[in-house]
This record gives sequence, C-alpha cells and structure tokens, in this order.
Amino acid sequence: MRVEIPNGDDSPHLRINLKVNGQSVDTSIEPRELLLDFLRDRLGFTGAKRSCDVQVCGTCTVLLDGRPVSACCTLAYEARDRELLTIEGLAKGDELHPLQQSFVEQTALQCGFCTPGMILTAKSLLEEISHPTRQQIQRYLKGNLCRCTGYWNILVAVEQAARRLQPEGQSESPA
Amino acid sequence: MLRPFEIHEPGTVEEASVLLAQFGFDAAIYAGGTELLLIMKEGLAHFPHLVNIKTIPGLDEIALSTEGDELQIGPLATHWELERSPTVKKHAPLFAEVESQVANTRVRAMGTIGGNLCFAEPHSDPATLLLAWGATLELSSADAQRQLPAADFTLGMFETARQPDEILTRIRLPLLSENTAGAYRKFSTHERPMATVAALLEVKDGMIEHARLAVGSVGPVPIRASEAEGLLRGQGAEEAAFSTAGELAASASDPIDDLHGSAEYKRHLVRVLTTQALEQAAKRAVGAVNEG
Amino acid sequence: MTAGIGHNVPRVDARSKVTGEALFTGDLKLAGLLHGKVLRSPYPHALIRRINTDRAALLPGVMTVLTSTDLQDIDPYYGHSIKDRPVLAIDRVRFVGEPLAAVAAQDEITAEQALSLIEVEYEDLPAATTLDEALSEAAPRLHETDTLRPGLFHGLGELHPQGNICYHHAISRGDLAEAFKQSEIIVEQEYTFPAVYQYAMEPHTVIAAWEGKSVTVWASCQHPYLVRAELADLFDMPVANVRIIVPFLGGGFGSKSYTKMEPITVGLARKAGRPVRIANRVDEAMVTTRRHNMRCWMRTGAQADGTLLARDVRFWMDTGAYADNGPRVVATAADAAPGPYRWKSFQIDAYCVYTNRPPAGSYRAFGATHLQWIGESQVDEIARQAGADPVEIRIRNLLRPGEEVRPGGKLLDADLVGDVQKIATALDWGSPKPPDTGRGIGVGLLAAGARPVSTAIVRMEIDGHATILVSSTEMGQGVRTVMSQLASQELALPIDHIKVPGGDTLITPYDRSTGASRSTTLAGMAVHRAAREIRHQLLEIASQAFEVAPGTIELRDGAAWHADQSLSYSELIQFHFGFTGGELIGRGEVSPGGGKGSYAEGPVFWEVCIGGAEVRLNRDTGRLHITRLVSVADVGQAVNPHLVEAQEMGASMQGLGNALFEEMVFDEGQILNGTLLDYHIPTTEDMPDQFISRLAENEDGPGPYGIKGAGEGALAGVPAAIVNALADIGVPVRELPITPERVWRALKDTEGERDDAWGPPSTP
Repeated sequence: MRVEIPNGDDSPHLRINLKVNGQSVDTSIEPRELLLDFLRDRLGFTGAKRSCDVQVCGTCTVLLDGRPVSACCTLAYEARDRELLTIEGLAKGDELHPLQQSFVEQTALQCGFCTPGMILTAKSLLEEISHPTRQQIQRYLKGNLCRCTGYWNILVAVEQAARRLQPEGQSESPA
Repeated sequence: MLRPFEIHEPGTVEEASVLLAQFGFDAAIYAGGTELLLIMKEGLAHFPHLVNIKTIPGLDEIALSTEGDELQIGPLATHWELERSPTVKKHAPLFAEVESQVANTRVRAMGTIGGNLCFAEPHSDPATLLLAWGATLELSSADAQRQLPAADFTLGMFETARQPDEILTRIRLPLLSENTAGAYRKFSTHERPMATVAALLEVKDGMIEHARLAVGSVGPVPIRASEAEGLLRGQGAEEAAFSTAGELAASASDPIDDLHGSAEYKRHLVRVLTTQALEQAAKRAVGAVNEG
Repeated sequence: MTAGIGHNVPRVDARSKVTGEALFTGDLKLAGLLHGKVLRSPYPHALIRRINTDRAALLPGVMTVLTSTDLQDIDPYYGHSIKDRPVLAIDRVRFVGEPLAAVAAQDEITAEQALSLIEVEYEDLPAATTLDEALSEAAPRLHETDTLRPGLFHGLGELHPQGNICYHHAISRGDLAEAFKQSEIIVEQEYTFPAVYQYAMEPHTVIAAWEGKSVTVWASCQHPYLVRAELADLFDMPVANVRIIVPFLGGGFGSKSYTKMEPITVGLARKAGRPVRIANRVDEAMVTTRRHNMRCWMRTGAQADGTLLARDVRFWMDTGAYADNGPRVVATAADAAPGPYRWKSFQIDAYCVYTNRPPAGSYRAFGATHLQWIGESQVDEIARQAGADPVEIRIRNLLRPGEEVRPGGKLLDADLVGDVQKIATALDWGSPKPPDTGRGIGVGLLAAGARPVSTAIVRMEIDGHATILVSSTEMGQGVRTVMSQLASQELALPIDHIKVPGGDTLITPYDRSTGASRSTTLAGMAVHRAAREIRHQLLEIASQAFEVAPGTIELRDGAAWHADQSLSYSELIQFHFGFTGGELIGRGEVSPGGGKGSYAEGPVFWEVCIGGAEVRLNRDTGRLHITRLVSVADVGQAVNPHLVEAQEMGASMQGLGNALFEEMVFDEGQILNGTLLDYHIPTTEDMPDQFISRLAENEDGPGPYGIKGAGEGALAGVPAAIVNALADIGVPVRELPITPERVWRALKDTEGERDDAWGPPSTP
C-alpha cells in the first residue's frame, strides 16, 4: 500500500479530562494517540512498556477504571473522563502495595520488564477474587508473559499478597 | 503511533448510519478497538474516519426480552461483562463460559461481542457458539432494520453480510429449553485457537430430539455439521454414536493448512473435539433433566 | 545487616522494578532526540541496483536518511567472529529483514512513512534459504569466503571458511572404527532442531549521541566493552571516545550479546548531528538474532550391558546470512556433543553454514540445548536395548570429577552422579507411573565462562558506604544483588550500604562480557578481590588507629573492632585522611594466568545441564502435559539460593518452550510467524504441575568460595528430559519442537508397528 505524505497539521485535537494515579489531567490529544505513547511520552509514566505490540504479552498493561487493558492497542481517547492506574500509582508513598511487597520478597521478578503489567493484572484479579485458586491465577495471568521467571514465584507472590490483603476467614468479596 | 484520523461521536444509530454512508470505505465503526487498532497499527488498513458507536446510549445492554424467551445482548457488551453478567450466567451459562475463554483478560476487558462478530476473524469463539445456538443478529441502518440468522452473517474470512451503513444493534439468543444443554471445546497451540466445536443437545426421555453442532477456527468461517446433527436425532443420549458424529463433523469441516497445523490434523481434532463436546453436552442435558 | 553469601536477601533492584522506577533504555529521554527506523530487505537474496532516498528526505519532519554510501569514509564491516557484515547492506542483501537504509525523524510515524518513500530497485538472486540448499553443489555463495577477515573476538583457531561453510570445528579421541567394532548395540539417527527466538521482552533499543569526535551510546547490550571495541574499530576512533552506558535490560538470554543495532544507530546519529534512538519492534528483533536451526546425524555404540564405547556426530548449524556468534556456537555445541560420559573414542564434526536467513547467534545454553537431547535420547535407547535402567546406565558411564571431558580442556569439576541422583529422587524414579505417563532425565555439560578477563573497582566513601564499579549487565539474572552480597561478605558491610550502578565504560572498568554464566564466577572474583583490597586497607588503618597489630582486629557490621573498642569505617577513613573527605579504592582483576587449575584452561568451568521431566500424553490430541519438571543447579556454592532457583526455573521454562512449541517458521527465507500472535512462548497455562529446583553445593567452582556460574543448564537439560520421557511412553522424537501434531503423527506411525518404530537402523 502506498503511504501518502501526511499534512502535519490536519490531525484534529481533542480536549480530554482524566485521572491518572489519582491526579486530574486536563490535556489535549490527537485521536490517533495510543494510550501507551500518551502515558510514556506525554505524561512520563514509563512503567508500562512496549513489547509485543499486539496485546499478547501484557507489558503495557494499565488499569482503566480498574480493568486491565493493553495500552499499546488502546486509544488515549478511551481514557476520557475515566480513571487510569499505572504502576507508578500503586504504592502509597514509601509503602508498597502488598502485591509489590510480595513480588519483592518472593523474587517474583528478574529483568522487571513484565513486572508492572503483571502486578496490575494481579491487582485486578485480587479485587475480583480475594483468594483465587492457583488455576484461577494461571488463567487470569495467561495474557501476561514473563520470559525470566517461569512464573512459579509469581504465583506464590500473588497468593501471598492475597493472604495479606484479606486474611483467610474474612468474608469473600463477591466474585 | 497511528496515521491521523477523525473520531465521530454519533448520539443515535441513525446518526451513525448516516456517517457511515457518507464516508463509505473511508470509515470504520469503532467499538472496543481490539481488532481494528491492530490492523491499523500494522498498516493493513487505514480509515480517516472512525465512527465511535460507544456514544450511542443503550448499545451495551444485556437483558431478557419482555416475553422472557430470549437473551438480548447489545453489541457493545464486552467479553468481560458477558463473562460475568448474572443475567447471562443464569440464562445462557454456556455463552458466559465461552466468553470467559476469549483471548486474554485485557482483550476481554476492551473487546466487544459486536466487534468480534463484525470483524469475522476466523478464530472467533463466540461466532462458532452463536452459529450452533441459532442466534439472530439485528442490523440497523438509518432507515431500515433486518434480522439475520447467525448462519447468514459471516460470509468469509473478515467478511460479513453487514452493509457499510449498517450497525449490528442486537444479538438475540433464544433461551434453550430446560432439557437442552451444550458444551464448547477448544484446542489451541498459539494465541488463537486451532480448532473449536460447539454442541447443543436437546434430550427428551433419554433420547436426543435435536442436535446442533458448529465447527470453528479450522477454516475461514465456522460451519454447521448438519449431517452429524441428523445422525444423532433419535439416538439415546447416553449411548449415541458420538464418535461417528465426530467423524461426520470432521469430514464436513473444510480445514486449511496453516501455521497452526495441517488440514489433516485439524480434521482429526474436529473429530476428537466434536466427540468430547457431544459427550459433555449429553451428560449436562441428562443431568439437567434429572435435576429438574 | 551484613548479607554475605548464602543469604536469600531480596534483590537490590526489586523495589525499583515493582514501582516502575527502574529505567530501561527505551525509558530515557534526551533533548533533541530523533527517532530512527530501519528499511529492511523484502528479499532473501538480491542485488541492490539503485536506492533513491530523495523523496524520503523531503518529507517534513525527516532529518536524515542513511545508506551505505554515507559510510564510505570508514571500513563499514563488523562481526566479532568474522568481519562479514556491513552496517547497512552494500550492493547486495542477503536475508529478508537485512537493513539497507535508516531514517531519523522527529517522530516514529514520520520515520516509518519516510521508509515507504525510499525507492529501491532490486535484482533477485538465487537464494539458499535452507541448510540443504546452502550445502548443495549448485548453491549460490553468500560471501567471498576466501577474502573474509576474522573479527576482533572470534576466540577460535583458524576459521578456514569455504563455500557457504564459514567455520568447521572437529574434535576426536581414540580409534573410532575399533570402538564401533566392539559395540554390540549401535544407535544411529538423524535429527532436526528448529530456529528459535530468544524473546527478551525488551526488544533491542539503542540511543546514540555524538559530541565532537566522541559518541555516547545507551544500549540494551549485554557486553558493553565488546560493543565499544567494535564501534571504535568501525568508526576509527580511540576506544575511550566511545562511551557505552547500559541501563537495566529487559532480558537478554544471548539476544543482546555482541553488537546488534548499535552501528546503525551510531551511523545515523553521526549523519543527523543529533541524538537518535532506534527501538526494534518484535518482528525486527526476530530478524536481528535467533537461535541456530540445525541438522544432526549421530551414532552411539555400546557394549551389550550398556557400557558406552563410541560416539560419532556430524552436524550443520544454520547461522544465516552473517556469522554473528555462529562459530562459537558451533564450537560449544561440539564440546557438548559427546555428552558427559567416558568414551573409548568419539569424533565430532561440526559446521557453521551461511544461508539466506536472518543471522543466528547466542541464546542461553547454546550448543548444549542443540545436542544434549539428541545424545541423551541415544543413551536411553541403548538402555532400553540393554535392558538397563536409564539412571543406572548413566551412573555407570558418567565422568567422575577430575576426568577429562574433551582433549586438552579443563577436567571435570562437578559431581554428575550426585546431580543425577538428586533428579531421580525428585522425580520419584522407579515408583509406579499413571497410564500414558513417562519420565525422563537429561544430563550434559556446557563449556562456560567465555574468556576469563574481568576487572572491578570498589570505592569506599567517607561515610563508609561502598560503590561497586563493575561492568556486568543486570539483565534479570540478579548480578547487582550478587555483587552486593560478595562485597558485603568481604567488607563486613550491611548490604544497604552498598551500591551497584550499571555498566558505563567511562566509569566501570573492563569486563569481557555478561553471558556464558560467567559473571558471578569471574566478575564476582574481581569484585571479591577489589573488596579484599579495601579490607586490607581498613585493617591497616585500624591497626594504626588502635596502635595494635592488624591480626588482632576484626571487621564486623561496618566497623573495625579491637576487643570491645570499635571505629566505624567512616571514622577510619577520616582518621586516614585527617580530613572529613577522602575515599578508599580497591581494585580486582581476573585474567587467564598460566598453568593447571587456573583460568588458563578452557572452559572456566563445566556448567552442568540437567533436567528431569514427567509427562502425560493425551493420545487423542497428541498434546503433552508436563506434570513435573525438575532441575539441579550445580553451583559450587549459591551466593543467593533463591536467585539461583528462580533463574533455574526460568531456564527450565524456556527449555519447555524449546521442547514443546517454539519454532521460527520460514518460507523461502521469509519468517511466517513474526509476531507473538503466531510465535508462542510459554504462558502461565503451560506451567508444569510441580516445578522443582534443587541446588548442588560442593564448593567445586573456580570463583570465590568455590562458586561457579549457573542459569543456563536447565534450558539444555529440560528438552532432553522431555524427549526421554516421551520415549518412555513409546513415542520417538527426532525433531523439535514436539508439537501435538508431530506426536499425533508419531503415534499414528507407531500403531501396529511398535517393535521397530524406535530402534534406529543399526549398522553392523
């Protein structure tokens, strides 16, 4: 296919409001902007990474209104009037989120490239199912690839975080 | 980064249809974007105009019809919602089960059932199930509306009966009778499945009254395995010739050689999966009757 | 607390990695940074008749377009083994994906659009896109092999390229014909190994910025010093004018060893006069480097009781259009080919072959992964024919510590029998198996360590905190944690008082490379020695301060103690300098040295590659399910046991992928599965039910405290174990990966003719 020479200025801009990691952002975007580029290049949140670029690997995972999405294949426009959580927004100041703490303790990371996406997906899982079975974790995290760990320690870390977030015996949140 | 485009935000189906008619091949419907943005990023297609139908209220509703005989699903319902919807889980648990197997967590969170069907990617899980189910799709344009059986909707690889100015506005699933049960079997070695089979069996007094079988992923479009369906009618649910039905489904299917596997192997898988799906469906149907 | 060796301290980089603070090359921002994109060949083999970049250069936002004509002022060829590769194709392209032009523009989309405006006229040439084609008489020649020059770091003998064979490696011992004559059991077969993609999740990313006659390069590279040398050589400048900075790597696994995208980026930045970043996409990473596909013929002979006698191996590895690390991969594979057994005779002939495919280079446990499953499946077959148990036959034939592995090499420095027994125990070897379930073991050796040249500096600052300057690349293996622990041990200093920044050739001293499981052993030894120098200085200063002999002083928790008196390191340094400033500097180095038992003998150590698998076969679909996966890390002594186990699991999982489904599929040199949609790597759903990682700590390594490296072995051990587990159920494997379809076909073939289905044709 022939690629035409674009006219640099014909791309329309939209004003959007959104919340990123609890902070309000009021900015102007191009419709074609991908959420991943918007976060990394415009807002400086580089925790979400680009790898496969086809929604398979999960390194670009961010939570959009609490649900994990592939920022590489989502328009920034989608975030209008919604809330985004990136890995940078997970810890409360110096206090790590229980998932972060468990990933540190269980050596559930090596190169760290998949880690932000893995943790955010796991967060979404634990909010839905407070004490998932190992199989449930495996199914939920199937779309987050890790080439370093072989996943074992990741599963252990998620289970540990689940226990810390809600000690066994307390009432389950509705699945 | 993508090449520039404009996003349109119609408030009604009519407005959307007018926009689509106006821009013709320069426009695409934007819903979940999971398939559309992929091909745009790869440079396989470019649309200067995206018509965002998510600004049309009500298109994501999931509800029982007023007559209570069918499940009506808005095209913008995401796989995520369908997988979890109490209404779907109660009235069409198999559908929820299949939705929970679509791609991965993130794709399910963004991707819509309507987008999945309209994109007609040959490995679609719901397309295969809806074919077996006998679902009806409602297509609307500015001045017309028509109802199309799922079987007539998918025409080929990435090709459907939807006209450029039409919008899929509803997916209608007739509720299964109490003595009907189904099963879905899937075999994958890659991100997308290599072979899928959906089976529905209606069982009365231990006999199969009606069988519906669809085979997906192995070829360009899902197909119905009518010969196998015919064979099963009137057989005892617990001792029916499921493996013969599997063989008939295998020969009815028209697999292609590709990266996933050879046509020969896929045909074999269709036989295996069909047999397994039928056995499971029969067990469920008999169980449902016994429980009832 | 001090957290010396043997402690499971959390990774020192863990916190920054769970919070998103850890920076990778692609996260860096530079003022005026341009985005580079590379035009790649659509043909496997073609002449470039003409390149017209005029239209591309005119596109608004494009700063510069680079082709080989812009590099005529330098000798534009590089390649650490063989200098066979131009920075950008000159007159001819040799593989689909070969870079022939590059664009620097204000953003990526403009750069991409500019690529489409470059007009190239090709003239198709006959191509050799498979090993068979490349080795045939009529094959087109990829290179003028007589004029090829050796690279800066081939590290092998004479290369003797000939035809499309760029390197031949041969090893032999004993009288082969005689040994086979004595063999009552002979197993012989041909095997195929696929091309595999390393998939480091961060694709290659490079930023280059020139300032006058110097260039700074931020690169996702494993071996900054080797890249520096090649860039200095290419652009004809002193090595000190090239500064390589290595942020965190999003995985390496060999895919970022040696020079990859750096020359193009540096060339593009040179012409643009501005900093440029090139970030590969996954499809580009796949044509940048990969694992060698291979064809192999092997014959093994044994006595009727299973005593191994002879092995004859010939194999051909497809290194693609440029040698990259091919010759070294072939040599290492040849070392792995005999397996870890006592032989009367063996003969290995190994060939590295040019084809019109993307270049192949390093990938974790290269060579061993290629050969071990083959050798081990023949050992199991011999066990079957001899009526012997696979564990028992191994124990009988395995080399013992101190025995010769290959002629002229380092003697065996590992307890293989103990390792095999650990695997057998973890597999419940000998216990009853459920139906359609098989168990297998694979054991082998990998020549590890590469060239033993490493240096390190430890600085102890005025406040008693230490900074370790070492050029090992943190790519996930945990090297910064390990170095911290080694220094903590020697300095008696709490680990949070120790800092290990990344490699920066302007600051951190020479280290040959990060790969071949070498860093803990070699760079670790350099750090150990550098820390020891500081230790001596501290003791010396303390003896002056306390006015006692150094031997009466103990270093503990960041302070020097004499009886119940103590002075903190900070106080000692202030005492030494008589001022509130100053620092201690320690240096350490490792070099080959001479004589026996030193680093002079290759390899630095033999890495044990061992795995065990229990698999369940679904006869309906041919799918294998791994019910148990076991590995043993024979590490001498684990600096951080948890890190070692975690790395072993990662290697095991890659081995599972290599064994069961990973394969780059080519058609006429064009890759067909160039995205993660079609190239499947292991997910959480591919995990074994039980995943066991064990340690063997016999303090028999050449590093400090008897340490030796780890992290690769399981990748070679696991495929061998899976192959043998499947053979245990009666399904022979001669080709990887073992896809369900291949298993299904093997099952169909064996139906009704089980007896002669395995038994490869024996020759008298």
